[in-house]
Amino acid sequence: MSALALFALAVNFVAVLGITGLFANAGKLFGPKSVHRGDAELPYETGLPPLSPAHERMTVLYHRFAVLFVVFDVDLAFLLPWALNKPALGPGAMAAITGFTLVLLFMLAYFWRKGALECR
Amino acid sequence: MNLLAPQAALAAGVLGALGLGLARRPSALAARLLALAAPLAALFLLRSAVPGVFGPLVGVDLKGLCWQLVIFAGALPLAFLSSGDDVEAALFLGSVLGMSLLAVAGNLIMLFVGLEFMSLPAYLLVARAGEGDSRLRLEAAVKYFFAGALGGALFLLGLALYYADTRSFGPAMGPLGPQGQAGAALMAAGALFKIGAVPLHWWLPDVYSAAAPEVAGFLATSMKAAAVLFLMRVVSLAPDAVFIRALPGLGALTALVGAFFALRQQRLQRLLAYLSLSHAGLLVIGVGAWAVLGKAQAASAALLFYLGADALMSNGSFAFLKASGAVTRADLRGYAASAPGLAAAFAVLLFALAGIPPTGGFVAELLIFWQAVHAQLAVPIVLGAIAALVSLGYCLSLLRDLYFEEAGSAAPAAPEGCAASGSRVVVLVCAAGTLALVLAPLFLRGLAGSVWR
Repeated sequence: MSALALFALAVNFVAVLGITGLFANAGKLFGPKSVHRGDAELPYETGLPPLSPAHERMTVLYHRFAVLFVVFDVDLAFLLPWALNKPALGPGAMAAITGFTLVLLFMLAYFWRKGALECR
Repeated sequence: MNLLAPQAALAAGVLGALGLGLARRPSALAARLLALAAPLAALFLLRSAVPGVFGPLVGVDLKGLCWQLVIFAGALPLAFLSSGDDVEAALFLGSVLGMSLLAVAGNLIMLFVGLEFMSLPAYLLVARAGEGDSRLRLEAAVKYFFAGALGGALFLLGLALYYADTRSFGPAMGPLGPQGQAGAALMAAGALFKIGAVPLHWWLPDVYSAAAPEVAGFLATSMKAAAVLFLMRVVSLAPDAVFIRALPGLGALTALVGAFFALRQQRLQRLLAYLSLSHAGLLVIGVGAWAVLGKAQAASAALLFYLGADALMSNGSFAFLKASGAVTRADLRGYAASAPGLAAAFAVLLFALAGIPPTGGFVAELLIFWQAVHAQLAVPIVLGAIAALVSLGYCLSLLRDLYFEEAGSAAPAAPEGCAASGSRVVVLVCAAGTLALVLAPLFLRGLAGSVWR
């Protein structure tokens, strides 16, 4: 690793930090300064005053559903390429995807049985 | 398909343990049997496994096979002592499955999958397994999770940089550019995080001392073995990676930090955690020597032997904590008078941990130092020797507590029940195995011939 390459890497780092920092704050730096008065800072919600704060804290249960959803979502992302290429892949792939789906269904049954799908 | 038979056995074990959870009252006996049967079956199936390549993701080589042997063997005590909880059994088997997947990973992506697969259940295992107050364990598990997530993130960042430079998820074809160098170093940092090498060791003592003793033993043996293999896989990507030159020094520092911090500990489990850290340092020195020697088979055999001896020493000494109920060093005073057999076994394990003959620990340390001498790593050898001397000091003082001190007024009551007697068996077996390993050099040549050919 030559000194020139190291120097180039350093320049790259500085440039990336500088440019992203500039772009992220460009509005604040160069934009017109607006005067906030009255309802100007409230989020727009069909013209009516908002009922609750926008940054609502969510119950941790929500995250359980979110994670479960992502798991099954990603798993389905595996099924789609297989379905599109099914004729070319043959019986071995069929067996593999069947086993995979069975494991998936088993896990769904497990979550169900353990009460992870109930809204409590 | 013979190639992945051990993994298939472990996966079946995971699904079986989860299937037990579907019942209204999961059977504790079945969970225990499953936790013990799956690693044993994996060990048995490993016998007929042969090196080979299965698709782009899986490549079984001799190193992977031998390391799986150590990993499964190191996991057996926890399998034997499992509490009969179905979720714990599933987590334990899942972690072992991840380790064996890491051992047979054919490229860096699969290596990462194995890394996460072995780590995620281990975090939960730390939080869940064990009796008594769970707050400490929860805190340790959260700490472990964030440390592990940071290590994983470092690895992924390094992987991206490495791929950008070499366009490959396998070994580099030519010399590495600056990006590739940075990437390889970051990937190694991820591996060193898992091993707990200085300066990425801060999580290790807290986790090992808060987890249940048998879980700590599992982390100190199987997990460490997998992490060492992980580091070796990263090292073997590119021979000209700069970070390799730092490995012996980092290892020596780790050994020193572990040995000196262990001096001050009063709680036995924390002391063993620091001892384990110092052993991890020696392993990193060994990996450095292995890299300097051009990936010599003798060096990886030395590492393998060290990990095998460690599987006995660490598991045995952590199981002693469970068997005796001793928490602080004061609890050990006069222990030999009340339980001579267990005390003698612990003395043997302490000898091995300090690297005193005639135990397997001595042979293991000798082999590692021998390889370091071959690689001409003078400074790390001296530092490692200082660490070994320091650990000698407090192992001897523990022995004095065991044998030559009067029992204090509040001696711990010997724990009763199935778990305590099981851990007594583990301590005795591990001590006997440690003693037997000293004979290993006599047939090591033949063993090496049969294993490595």
